[in-house]
Amino acid sequence: MGLVAIATGKILSSFSVFLFLTILLLVVSRRFSTSVLLFGVQSAIIAAEAFATGFRERLAAAYVVGALIVIIKVVVIPRAFFGLAKHLKTSSDMKASTTPTQSVFIAAAMIYLSYAAVQSYGLSVHVPDDALAAPVALILTGAFLMVSRNKALMQMLGLLVLENGIFLAALTTTFGMPLVIEIGVFFDVLIGLLLMGVFAFRIRDTFDHLDVSKLRRLRG
Amino acid sequence: MILLLPLLIALLGAFLVLGFRKPQVATRVALLIGGLEIVSLMAVVRQVHEHGPMQVGRYLRVDGLSSFFLINIAFISGLVLVYASGYMRHPGEGRFSSPRWFYALVFLFLFTMISVCLSANLGLLWIMMEGTTLASALLVGFYNTKGAVEAGWKYLMVCTVGIAFALFGTIVLYLAAVKAGMNPETALDWASLMEAVPRMGFDPHLVKLAFVFVIVGYGTKIGFVPMHSWLPDAHAEAPTPVSALLSAVLLNCAMYAVMRYDAIVSHAVGTAFPHTLLLMFGVMSMVVAGLLILVQRNLKRLMAYSSVEHMGIIAIGLGLGGPLGLFGALLHIFNHSVGKSLLFFTAGKVRESFGTLRMDGVSGMARSLPKTSVALVVGSLAIVGLPPFSLFVSEFAILSEAFSQARYTVAVLFLLVLSVVFGGFTYHLLRMLGGEDSKNAPAHSELLPSEYSVMGIAGVCLLFFGVRIPNIFTAIIREAMAVVR
Repeated sequence: MGLVAIATGKILSSFSVFLFLTILLLVVSRRFSTSVLLFGVQSAIIAAEAFATGFRERLAAAYVVGALIVIIKVVVIPRAFFGLAKHLKTSSDMKASTTPTQSVFIAAAMIYLSYAAVQSYGLSVHVPDDALAAPVALILTGAFLMVSRNKALMQMLGLLVLENGIFLAALTTTFGMPLVIEIGVFFDVLIGLLLMGVFAFRIRDTFDHLDVSKLRRLRG
Repeated sequence: MILLLPLLIALLGAFLVLGFRKPQVATRVALLIGGLEIVSLMAVVRQVHEHGPMQVGRYLRVDGLSSFFLINIAFISGLVLVYASGYMRHPGEGRFSSPRWFYALVFLFLFTMISVCLSANLGLLWIMMEGTTLASALLVGFYNTKGAVEAGWKYLMVCTVGIAFALFGTIVLYLAAVKAGMNPETALDWASLMEAVPRMGFDPHLVKLAFVFVIVGYGTKIGFVPMHSWLPDAHAEAPTPVSALLSAVLLNCAMYAVMRYDAIVSHAVGTAFPHTLLLMFGVMSMVVAGLLILVQRNLKRLMAYSSVEHMGIIAIGLGLGGPLGLFGALLHIFNHSVGKSLLFFTAGKVRESFGTLRMDGVSGMARSLPKTSVALVVGSLAIVGLPPFSLFVSEFAILSEAFSQARYTVAVLFLLVLSVVFGGFTYHLLRMLGGEDSKNAPAHSELLPSEYSVMGIAGVCLLFFGVRIPNIFTAIIREAMAVVR
């Protein structure tokens, strides 16, 4: 067995653990830059998983997808976030509405919940429970970050974590959707982020802050 | 080839119209492109009516159901473009609020909505559905006021998250299809899925899971309660032509996506599961929106909640199924679009004349704006479902289906909400039409030709379809029903 094959096996058997680790760190991180770095690391893990899947299943499309993740989610998006934070001159504190201790407990509960949720499906799709629970946990964490962080930029990051989870679900269960569709989804994510950036600037210019929880004019 | 025309015209039109800086020229070019767009859409509809479903390449397909929604897009977008030509006379401040940017974004928005109806692939359908959010978010925030920015941000976030769930549902259905032995390359094509589902044993758990995520995801865009939070804000803060497009075309496109999934899932696991979910969301949306209509203060928010209520009615029709339920639901989609566009057009006129959309700031309207008032009354009577207007026919069809299936709870709730909504609309309307002349009474700015012509067409259409549905239209609805059943 070659070194590559051993590495592939290790990646496929252990990526869930590393993803859970990024989840726990993400929910306690206090600075925006740390969160962005953690998102980059998380995307890199998913890219490694895409490459490993491509190697094991002999799927050229998975390599392309892996390369796209590295370019877009590990390099372009984190850089864009740093640039955005600099231009918007936002403070690095992201105004979490839960304390770090509460967040860790909530994240742990969500990981537990995702294991419970996938239990009945693991057998029928022939995928280990860990590999199914990781995407569900990512989706839940993304949603949690979106509702518990008040800064516009952090909500965008939460959305990306959620999207990472959905993407990972496609990768682990079906080795990814047809390539054209995957590329289309990437394209949508990029345009979506661009628009959210535009709106972040507009929020700053019209309201003089980026605290989305203070946008409460429209009700009822 | 004919299938590519509507897509190309909308996409190229969006870039073409950007090249004209003068507002009048941009408006004329936009009307010309809109005219071409309608002709090309009607050509597609005619082709489908005469020769049956068409497919171009692997990713574009049109059949009876899509062609019914294309008629809706063509008719409403035509009305909206003509109305907008008068509405955009006073463009706002700022770099991107000129008419050419407005029309460019509208054509992009139309392009994504037409693509939703023409997609042969559920993945592409998702991509285009997300595209509708992206194309319209800037239109919702077009005025760049505090309210518009807030509504735009909320719209973008809520719909993107909602639609992410639909992507998850799409993936789960894909997983079920691949596991059942379908070729991964065609496992997302709805035509192959419809054909394969009864033959191959799809895992019922996975199919049901997929439908739950899809109905929550696309249901966010339809505006089902409790995922409707973006809808009143976006409708109220967007420029009026865009409100009409959102309410009368976008919500229907999302409904189209749900109908596609409903058909596939019904073939795989029977109609009981998907139809119960549709009924639940339908009744919930109808009841909650019906009650919220009573307490609204803003005219456009009132219309927006009425849209949620009507989407509930359509979902109930689909959930009941049966020949009358389905016929009523499809007919209601078209009737609601026409009625709601008419109401939004009058709301735009009210804002222009009184400078406000707050209903307590408007009184004595029947004296100061007689023609707009007539349109408002006609639209409101139609939208609350009074005969002889067309919405009565479709609501009556759905209601008779409910009674014939002995679903008395649904039928009674349906009737109760309709009477509450009738009360709410009458209360709001009488206060605006009658009373003393308000302080900010308009200096007699009556309707422009472009405005009363579209209001007239919509009004006549509401009345005509209430008295007699043209045979050709019935035939097209039957073709659409044949696809779903």
